[in-house]
Amino acid sequence: MAKKISKKDIAQLLKTWSQQFTVLAPSRASGVAEMAEWDGKDTSFLDWYRNTTVPPKASFLPPMEEMFRFRKDEEGYRIEPPDKNGRKQLLFGIRPCDARAMAILDMTFEDAYKDPYYLEKRRNTVLVGMGCTNPCESCFCTSMGTSPTDPTNVDIMLIDIGDHFLVEAVTDKGKELITKTKDLKEAAKSDEAEAEKSKETSYNKVVRKLDTKGIKDKLRDSFDDEEFWEKTAAKCISCGICTLLCPTCYCFDINDETDKGEGTRFRSWDSCGFSAYTKMPMENPRSEKWRRVRQKVCHKYEFYPMAFDVIACTGCGRCIRLCPVNWDITQVIESVPDRVKGAK
Amino acid sequence: MMEQKLRQEAKALLEQKKVDWIVGFETGSLKFTTTPLITKDIADTERLVINPFITNNLANFLTEIEGRVGIVAKGCESRSIVSLIQDNKVAREDLVILAVPCPGIIDLAKIERLVGKDRDELEDISRDGDKVSVKVDGQKKDFAVADVLFDHCLACELPTPTEYDILLGEPRLPTPDLKASGQNIVDLKELTSAERWAKWQDEMSRCIRCYACRNVCPACFCERCFVEETEPQWVMPMPQWPDNLIFQIIRNIHVAGRCTDCGECERVCPVNIPLRSLTREMYDIVGELFKFKSGMDKDALPLMVHYEQEEAEEFFK
Repeated sequence: MAKKISKKDIAQLLKTWSQQFTVLAPSRASGVAEMAEWDGKDTSFLDWYRNTTVPPKASFLPPMEEMFRFRKDEEGYRIEPPDKNGRKQLLFGIRPCDARAMAILDMTFEDAYKDPYYLEKRRNTVLVGMGCTNPCESCFCTSMGTSPTDPTNVDIMLIDIGDHFLVEAVTDKGKELITKTKDLKEAAKSDEAEAEKSKETSYNKVVRKLDTKGIKDKLRDSFDDEEFWEKTAAKCISCGICTLLCPTCYCFDINDETDKGEGTRFRSWDSCGFSAYTKMPMENPRSEKWRRVRQKVCHKYEFYPMAFDVIACTGCGRCIRLCPVNWDITQVIESVPDRVKGAK
Repeated sequence: MMEQKLRQEAKALLEQKKVDWIVGFETGSLKFTTTPLITKDIADTERLVINPFITNNLANFLTEIEGRVGIVAKGCESRSIVSLIQDNKVAREDLVILAVPCPGIIDLAKIERLVGKDRDELEDISRDGDKVSVKVDGQKKDFAVADVLFDHCLACELPTPTEYDILLGEPRLPTPDLKASGQNIVDLKELTSAERWAKWQDEMSRCIRCYACRNVCPACFCERCFVEETEPQWVMPMPQWPDNLIFQIIRNIHVAGRCTDCGECERVCPVNIPLRSLTREMYDIVGELFKFKSGMDKDALPLMVHYEQEEAEEFFK
């Protein structure tokens, strides 16, 4: 049976959870909307929060992080692992699109490789999802296998039912936490009915649609169509906004900061859109802009489906609303020629 | 009116093969946006628009397009074009400049702050002279145009290009309001040096090194940017605030005498760093020290690459 909580009691709920977890919640305190450590009182996000600018992937794959420290002595190099924080964190209010993005990232960082930095944080985190009631104009999640209220990829899901949230446990981890949380009340049948209505209303508010049928094959067949890609890339300025702030993009660069025989190895976000991408080991094989744009599109809509049978895009719309030139992935995907049908 | 004339002129330029490319604006995919239209296709000229949302500085594309270009230019764009001509990055004879007398561009972020709603929640924005009406939740709210234009537009010294081939409308005279435009900088200057240092540390801590500020800037035309040099490495690529700050400071110095205060760097920053506070201050310093305004005269020598007997510094004499 589902639980519920009054919106007025969210601060109390987060206080309770703060005893056990480092609670992260939507915040604009730094000057940009992101998931930040909860300050113990602010719940103003309940009014302004639609989605964060910085995606929650930053809590698992931070913009920069220490991999290890090293120093040289008479016997050679000594490697020291970074201080393990080992802290348990709770991400409060993650949107379904971004939660799906975490599941997509898991395929690379857990299934294909075992990335210890990512996995430690991922395993130590509880995801508390919050359904959207006011999706953005740029959102197209309902075309990308999820929806504004999809509970699939979180531990606990909150659905807006007016002055309350309906609280549903999704995973065992979520069930266990809910059982122990005394701040929650039993939900009535009418609350659950209200939640169903709320879900439908939100779903219908996502007006941007994208037809991805056959896209993997269409992209494969268009790979060598230089004219198409040049046209598609013409207005792109090769900045890193759409990739760095994409919840499913995970490219990183590795750098050492050294000083007299000792130093630290860091990894930090990188972008296939940059002309200097992979320049450190060799050269960037994609020197022309259209090749980089093609890579970005194909990685999400062709290569990821080839490797993991899922499109690495969740329709969060950040790349559309943050792009300096309004380069719109949905328009690009729709314009890929269908060579089988002969349409151009 | 201007739009119709633009479409006709652009179409004629392509038809008569006077240009290979047209670079202008078309309607964007989100409310109140436009997007650059870069095309060789005559039919595409029907999509060209001129409206209060033509934000991009199109001069940015000139250094990468090969061939002759018909380019739509507001005053600020024309200054960037002139600056590129001064630096020999673009040849005047390869350009047909379609000049737009510009009444200023609407800053959606200012409207969002004034009405407390995001841009996609607004129903309509319309401008009538000095008044801008915003329709939200069925209600119309009126604002003075000075409250909703970009800060850099408030300081505009050249609404109508003086370097052009085709003028698309009645020239507009500049009415700069430097006080309103520079309020952020005045506020910064009122801080103590320690407070200002702390503030920039905060601002630069948000930087994710997407380089949108650099890539959107027509004055940033280096083929190899110093941040991408790896041997030696000048700046660490990780987004830590000291490196982020160094990146901005060096970038700012590199565009001194080229920056035309088009404001694009600040507009595109996804993490809201007030970059124009740096670039505009540099613009004013350049004006004060060298009596130089970038992009005003295509025959003037570029500021940072020539030398005069009357240099201010003894060192150079």
